[in-house]
Amino acid sequence: MPKKAGEKVCGNCRYHNTYEYPDRVFCFAKFSNRENPVISIFNSCDEWESKLQECYCLEEALAKRGKKPK
Amino acid sequence: MVGREDFLNTPVVHMKLNSNMTVDQLIQQFKKSGSFGAGRLASACDVYEGMVRDKDCTIFLALAGAMVPAGLRTTIADLIRKRLIDALVSTGANMVHDLIEALGGHHYQGSWFVDDYLLYKYHIYRIYDVFVPEEDFVKADETLIKMFEEIATKTGRKPLSTNELMSEVGKRLKDPNSIVRSAYESKVPIFLPAMRDSEFAYIHRVHQKRSPKEKGLLVDAFKEVPELLDITSRSERLGMIVLGGGVPRNSVQHAALMTGKGLDYAVIFTTDRPEPGGLSGSTIEETISWGKVKQKANKVMVIGDALISFPLMTASVLERLGPGFHRKGNP
Repeated sequence: MPKKAGEKVCGNCRYHNTYEYPDRVFCFAKFSNRENPVISIFNSCDEWESKLQECYCLEEALAKRGKKPK
Repeated sequence: MVGREDFLNTPVVHMKLNSNMTVDQLIQQFKKSGSFGAGRLASACDVYEGMVRDKDCTIFLALAGAMVPAGLRTTIADLIRKRLIDALVSTGANMVHDLIEALGGHHYQGSWFVDDYLLYKYHIYRIYDVFVPEEDFVKADETLIKMFEEIATKTGRKPLSTNELMSEVGKRLKDPNSIVRSAYESKVPIFLPAMRDSEFAYIHRVHQKRSPKEKGLLVDAFKEVPELLDITSRSERLGMIVLGGGVPRNSVQHAALMTGKGLDYAVIFTTDRPEPGGLSGSTIEETISWGKVKQKANKVMVIGDALISFPLMTASVLERLGPGFHRKGNP
C-alpha cells in the first residue's frame, strides 16, 4: 500500500539517492546489508525525518501518482 | 655574444585561411605566425609528432580535470587503441566518469548559468556546463561494488595496484569506447595515483561494508610506484602529454626523475599560473631544475583550454601520420 505524504517514506530520508527519478530510490543502507536496495520512494523508511528534504523527487512522485487513473 | 640581428631572424607570416582547410593546414598557419598561443600549439603538434615517430619513446598521458565528462573519452580510447600513448596516469574521477558511460550512464550539455540549488533539488550534479544525473552515478556505483566483490573473490587477499585493479575492471566491461576497456585490450597500463580522491573510495567503502571481514578487496596505493619505475627504467626515451596537471603530471615527472633519466619530450596544456607555486602552473623550465625534464628536451607549455587545444593537436598529428601509420607501443 503506497504511503501518503508526511508518512515515513524513503523520499523523506536524508540517505535517499535517485534510481529512477522520481519513483524509485537506491538505498545504500539496504545495499550494505545485502537487501534489495531499489525501492519505491513511498516505501516505509527507518531513517525518515519529520522535515521534508530539500529536493523534488517525493513531491514529483506524489504529483505523478495523483495524475494516474485509479 | 648574441647580436642584434640574431633577434630579428624570423618574420611573423600572417595567417592565410581558406574554406577547405584541414586541421593540420590550419596548424601550419599557426606555425607561420609563431606567436602567442597559436605558435605554442603548433610547437605542441611538432613535439607530439616527434614522440610518436620516435620508435624508442614511451609516451605517458597525464590526465586531470573533467576531460572525460566533457567529451574526450573516445579520443583517449582511440589513442590507446592506436598505441599513440603507452601509459595513462589519471585522476580517479576521470575513470569513474568513463565507467559511468560504460555502464549505461550519460553526461549532458548544460550551462554554467544555472540555479545550482535547483539542480540540487533535482538530483543533478554540475561540472561547469556539463550535467550528470545522480542516478547514473548510483547505477555505476552499484555495478562497480558488485564488480569489486567478484575481483576480491578472484584475487583473495592479494593487494592490487591501481593499475591491476583497472585491468580487472576493464576485463569486465563490454563498451569498446571505454578508456578502461580499451586499455585492458591494448595492454596499456592505467595508474591512478590519487584514486582515493574519487568515487572509487566510496565504492570501496560500501563494498567493505557488504563484505564479510577478511574478504574485502585490498588496493595498495604504493604498489604502482615500482610498476611506474619499471616502465621508465625500461624505456630508452620518455615523453609526456599533460592535460591540466596536478598529481598525474607529477607522478609521471617524478618517475622520470627517480630513474635518473628525465623526460625527453613534454607537452603541457594548462590554464594555471606559476606564481602561486602550484605544480599545475609550474613552468617546464622549473621542472628542469629538478631533473624531471631534460634541459635539451623538446618541450612546450600551451596556455589554454585543453578541451580545445588537445583535440586540435591530436587531429593535426593524426593527419600527418596518415591512416596507414602503425606504432607498436613501448616499452
